[in-house]
Amino acid sequence: MSDVAGPSRDRFAAVTEEVTSIPLRYPEPRGWWILFAFALLLLMVFVVSAGALLRYGVGMWGNNIPVNWGLAISNYIWFLGIGHAGTLISAMLLLLGAHWRNALNRFAEAMTLFAVVCAGLYPILHLGRPWLFYWMAPYPSTMTVWPQFKSPLTWDFFAVLTYLTVSVLFWYIGIVPDLAATRDRARTRRQQVFYGLAALGWRGSARHWARWGQAYRLTAAIAVPLVVSVHSEISLLFAAGPIPGWSSTVFPPYFVLGAAFSGFAVVAMIAVVLRHALGLQDLVRERHLDLLGIFLLATGLMTAYGYWAEVFDVLYAGEKQELGTLQDRLVGAYAWSYWGAVVANFVPLQLLWFRSIRVRPLPLFLIALSVTIGMWLERYMLLVTSLYRDWLVSSWAEYHASVWEWGLFAGMLGVFLAPFLLFVRFLPVISSFEIKEVMAEDEEERHA
Amino acid sequence: MPDAPRDGPAGPGRPSTARFGERLAGRTGRAFWRSLEELAGTPEFAAALREEFPAAASLAGVLDRRSLLRAMAASLALSGLTGFEAHAEETALPYVEQPEGEVPGIARWYATAVTFGGFAQPALGKTYAGRPVKLEGNPDHPATGGASDVFLQAALLGLYDPGRSQAPRRLGRPATWAAFDDAVLRTATALDATQGEGLRLLTGTVTSPTMARQIAALGTRWPKARWHVWEPMAGSGHEATARVFGRPLDMHARLDRAEAVVCLDADPLGPGAHQSVNARRWSARREAFRRGEGGCRFLVAEAVPSLTGMMAGDRLVAAEARVAALLLALAAEFGVAGASAPDLAGDERRWLADASAALRAAPGRGLVLAGERQPPEFQALALLVNERIGALGTGLTFTAPVAVAPPEGMGSLPALVEDMAAGQVSALVMLGTNPAYTAPAGVDFRAALDKVAFRLHAGLHHDETAALCHWHAPLAHELESWSDARAVDGTASIVQPLIRPFYAVRGVHEILANLAGDFGSGSRDIVQATWRDWWGEAFDGRWRDALLRGFVEGSAPDPVTPAVATRDVPPVPAAADGLTVCFRPDPTMWDGRFSDNAWLQETPKPFSKVTWGNVVAVSPALAAERGLATGDEVTLTLSGRRLTGAVWVMPGQERSTLALTFGYGRRHEGGLGAGFGYDAFALRPEGRWSLAGAELAKTGGRQQVATTQTHQAMDGFDFVRTVATPGEAVPKADDAPSFYPRRHWDSPSWGMSIDLDSCIGCNACVVACVAENNVPMVGKDLVAQGREMHWLRVDHYYEGDPAAPKSYVQPVPCMHCEQAPCEMGCPVNATVHSSDGLNLQVYNRCIGTRTCSSFCPYKVRRFNWFDFTSADPPEMRAARNPDVTVRGRGVMEKCTYCVQRIAETRITAQKEGRPIHDGEVVTACQQACPTRAISFGDVTDAASAVSGRKASPRSYALLEEANTRPRTTYLARVEPAGNDGGGEAG
Repeated sequence: MSDVAGPSRDRFAAVTEEVTSIPLRYPEPRGWWILFAFALLLLMVFVVSAGALLRYGVGMWGNNIPVNWGLAISNYIWFLGIGHAGTLISAMLLLLGAHWRNALNRFAEAMTLFAVVCAGLYPILHLGRPWLFYWMAPYPSTMTVWPQFKSPLTWDFFAVLTYLTVSVLFWYIGIVPDLAATRDRARTRRQQVFYGLAALGWRGSARHWARWGQAYRLTAAIAVPLVVSVHSEISLLFAAGPIPGWSSTVFPPYFVLGAAFSGFAVVAMIAVVLRHALGLQDLVRERHLDLLGIFLLATGLMTAYGYWAEVFDVLYAGEKQELGTLQDRLVGAYAWSYWGAVVANFVPLQLLWFRSIRVRPLPLFLIALSVTIGMWLERYMLLVTSLYRDWLVSSWAEYHASVWEWGLFAGMLGVFLAPFLLFVRFLPVISSFEIKEVMAEDEEERHA
Repeated sequence: MPDAPRDGPAGPGRPSTARFGERLAGRTGRAFWRSLEELAGTPEFAAALREEFPAAASLAGVLDRRSLLRAMAASLALSGLTGFEAHAEETALPYVEQPEGEVPGIARWYATAVTFGGFAQPALGKTYAGRPVKLEGNPDHPATGGASDVFLQAALLGLYDPGRSQAPRRLGRPATWAAFDDAVLRTATALDATQGEGLRLLTGTVTSPTMARQIAALGTRWPKARWHVWEPMAGSGHEATARVFGRPLDMHARLDRAEAVVCLDADPLGPGAHQSVNARRWSARREAFRRGEGGCRFLVAEAVPSLTGMMAGDRLVAAEARVAALLLALAAEFGVAGASAPDLAGDERRWLADASAALRAAPGRGLVLAGERQPPEFQALALLVNERIGALGTGLTFTAPVAVAPPEGMGSLPALVEDMAAGQVSALVMLGTNPAYTAPAGVDFRAALDKVAFRLHAGLHHDETAALCHWHAPLAHELESWSDARAVDGTASIVQPLIRPFYAVRGVHEILANLAGDFGSGSRDIVQATWRDWWGEAFDGRWRDALLRGFVEGSAPDPVTPAVATRDVPPVPAAADGLTVCFRPDPTMWDGRFSDNAWLQETPKPFSKVTWGNVVAVSPALAAERGLATGDEVTLTLSGRRLTGAVWVMPGQERSTLALTFGYGRRHEGGLGAGFGYDAFALRPEGRWSLAGAELAKTGGRQQVATTQTHQAMDGFDFVRTVATPGEAVPKADDAPSFYPRRHWDSPSWGMSIDLDSCIGCNACVVACVAENNVPMVGKDLVAQGREMHWLRVDHYYEGDPAAPKSYVQPVPCMHCEQAPCEMGCPVNATVHSSDGLNLQVYNRCIGTRTCSSFCPYKVRRFNWFDFTSADPPEMRAARNPDVTVRGRGVMEKCTYCVQRIAETRITAQKEGRPIHDGEVVTACQQACPTRAISFGDVTDAASAVSGRKASPRSYALLEEANTRPRTTYLARVEPAGNDGGGEAG
């Protein structure tokens, strides 16, 4: 980068300026405040519904025997699934050297982080005695009782905790150079102190960069297999139980692909919104939208294969109980969730075969929204349609989520949205130094 | 006994602070006060404080007044726990020397009895430190042999019912016993002048020798007084035997002898005072049949599904009027003089041919039963048929009536109400009866009661009748007072208290003694006087013997062999047009007397599995025709009277029959059961159990029906399996491979076998489990949400045409799977396997992930969605079994195979240095079962009873294909193939 010509140095400076100016001088504070007020309102809903839950018990929800798990667990899987796209985009594409990721990775990682937080809260809140959740951890206790290592839940606990830790690390390591850049451009004392502390004394020395590169790539290497293992593990929450509709070997890949699918959809939505709201059209370009659309289509088709494989499994095996569950899914009381998932996931998706649709923000946004809803329906369907009519006819009962569950869901969106908006407002949403790196490499190539 | 009675009447001369104690103690629910300030912050408190502690009041100026008051209130609140009880003068001290035989924590058992519909249900009561916690059938009793029913099992909660009346009331306000005594004395004195003219006594069925003696004594003092009996659910009583034999007799169906039983609207296995006895006898016959010793064939014709109909091999759905026609045809078939066969439809002819063939195939071993709620002339006709088939004295035996009846002409409730309305009644004493609620439609008891100058009601609850009376006297529960009563076979039991009365209550015998001017004698003296008269010199020994045994040996009346005196054959009843309403006692509420018993309220009705309410049962055909669905609100009009209720579509009910049950629509203030369901009494005319000409209209509304089983079709699965003959083997799946190795099990290793060929679905096991294991009740809304807590449920399935389906029951406790999915699912080791083969639930380790329940194929696990237990009033807490943990919020629970009983037996055996004998551990459900359908024991011991059952070719595991290797297995029901066409046995 030493002999970079004058005009291109200006271009680099412009990129840094564009990215760091957002936290330092937020362009559209009014819209942000409206959104943030809305997020805080949702956060209040969360506090109230979680408070009632903790005060009175899980009975506030609509669960019963047989449907022991409801919205809480399906939302848990949904949120965690969303998170996976962030890791895939950041870590996997980093390792594969796909440079276009640089426009998307920062906010995708932030999305992962907050989605994992939401996901992690759900299983704790859904416990009968949430204050004892730490009993799932293998810590040396006076009771000398260990967790039960055959249980998928024990591994869920490890998986989510690991995933959260790695996501935080990966995101924070990635943002440090940009925090330093922001610090250097900060004008007010308060901003200087804040970004200064957050930048951990980053000076951009060669040694810093070398260490940083090692750490970043190493964390990425840890994060990528986590995507597969975490959601495979989550699928065992279902697949380990001898419940018709659950105990299927297709579940682990099916869940991982579904997770990526829903995650890419949410990344696409956020990309479209941020691009528009923060005027980042020059950084998040059509090419990025196009690639997001392709990924969405690809993972969507793989998920569709999962649907097909599941049905095929049931028909091929011909077990009466499994056939019954399949029938319940197709025409039962919750058929809306099955067909809703099929339609919302796969019908609008087909438009993404056309590049003209992929590169247009609004259609892409709407298709992604449809997928997000569809994948939510799928999680709900997998859970409820299996449980509400399991083995013994005598135990069959329907489940209707109570207003408190919907309240907690709305509140959880607040838990996601509020910190995400703070991130957008106060931290560099796009990795400016990585974009510059790509630009520099491009230029070097051109010079050569 | 350390349990001093708690609340008492507000006597004169009590310190005024006592009123604040009352604010803590004298409450209906729990005493909540938000702060000590609130308790102390009233002017009355300050005034009372000055009065009680003048010195402290003067201190108030020196100290901060607020903190002083707070300290005073705190000590008052603490003393409120003990300080303001009625019998505070009775010194309570901890044991200095332990009473002989009393070991804290070791249960003591007493033989006693509770009554149901006037008849004794002999029981053993388990007490801890003088606190009864469980009732079980008395296994030595000659009639019941240890069998019990839901009502016996639930009687315990009746004792602890916090809604029980706790002090006398005058015009609805709390009063003292002294004032009560005054009023009774004045009335009695006034009656002396007229020889008791205008005095009426109203009771339920009386079998108590002591009560009979007392009533007779009243009759001697006041010859013009009259005694009326009102037992709302009793059928026509002795009318049939009086017609046929010329004298009233009790009939005893010997189901243990009868090999072919034809039931015409009769439900000998159904709920009622006879249920335990009949069920025990029937199961004995059934066992013999399975051993190949004779048949056991039931043929039932009925309009409304009954438990007997469910167990019958051949059930004909017949309208109420057609049942009588079938009986006539049967009479004609067997040559009862004067009986001519009416026209029968095709399936009726087929059923009749089967019934006749079955009776002929078992000469002298047949039995024809007409329902006790059929018109008396048809019951009489059934007796004539029994004469023809040689059942009199074999299948059907007779004794002199067990119940004491009022002398001729005294009559029933309608006669009393007539006299009351005519102003001929000046004093009415009602003992343990609630006519303001149970009076038939058209008998305006409430209006007539207004004309009675002195109205006294004695009962367990301040019910609808009590609210209309001048005086209400709270009765002692049977478990806290002395009495006596006879079981249905006539064997007398001494009812001995298991605990001293909680409240300021009196026994029913004391009330009667009060009436006779005796205010001093206790119930024990009164009961003893009766038996002392009979036994004379031998009294002491025999009394002691009767208390130990729980019954008076040889006190049953001898069977008589009556000669037929009259042979009248009634005409064929006219076919009813339109809709016929059939009235039935409620299987858990009976006539409403148990409506404040939460255990019974939450016991699912055997067919519909409905809890906390009654329904208007309609046939599927009628429902289809009228566009009715379960839960639709309908208005039922009958003879100008109407009620509104929720529809239940009842498969197997006759097409144009509507079935109503009593016991709901209670209106007593503050009652637990008030406000649920409809009141069928308001629709039923005196003496009628069915009535044609009903109109049904949809209101368009919906009502919540809280059922524990929304889906009752077996849907082609084989949950309940059947075999055609007792020796036939159930097809077994090969051992499926498993990921985990098979474990080796050391002896003992527990298992259970439930014989579906014996289970009649009576629910006794369900309530026994509730009582034994402190299972919380959750109420109607939560049941409707699918959150009932029963550890043991009885699943009910239909199979076949909804118009006349086959009906099956299957009790489902925890299966204690050897390869339990729940154990694999739990992340914190809260559900684990014990070395003796139990699937244990560790409550204090459970964090409530509910994975175990999600993974459980049998869905037998129950979750504490809320804190179900800590809000229980202290009375209810006293009812809990101290051997079983009370579960808190957010933990999973389930059947433990009564692990506390296993542990107790194991400790005893270990102390004695011996292995546990087979049959030594008896689970609560097993003990309660009147048909011995449940067997429990060591499955590794090939000689144990349960291993014997598991080796039976009929043995199978529920959901074998789930490969969980359950320890609870079932024995298939024996049901000859094509039994709807009339098989050989079944």
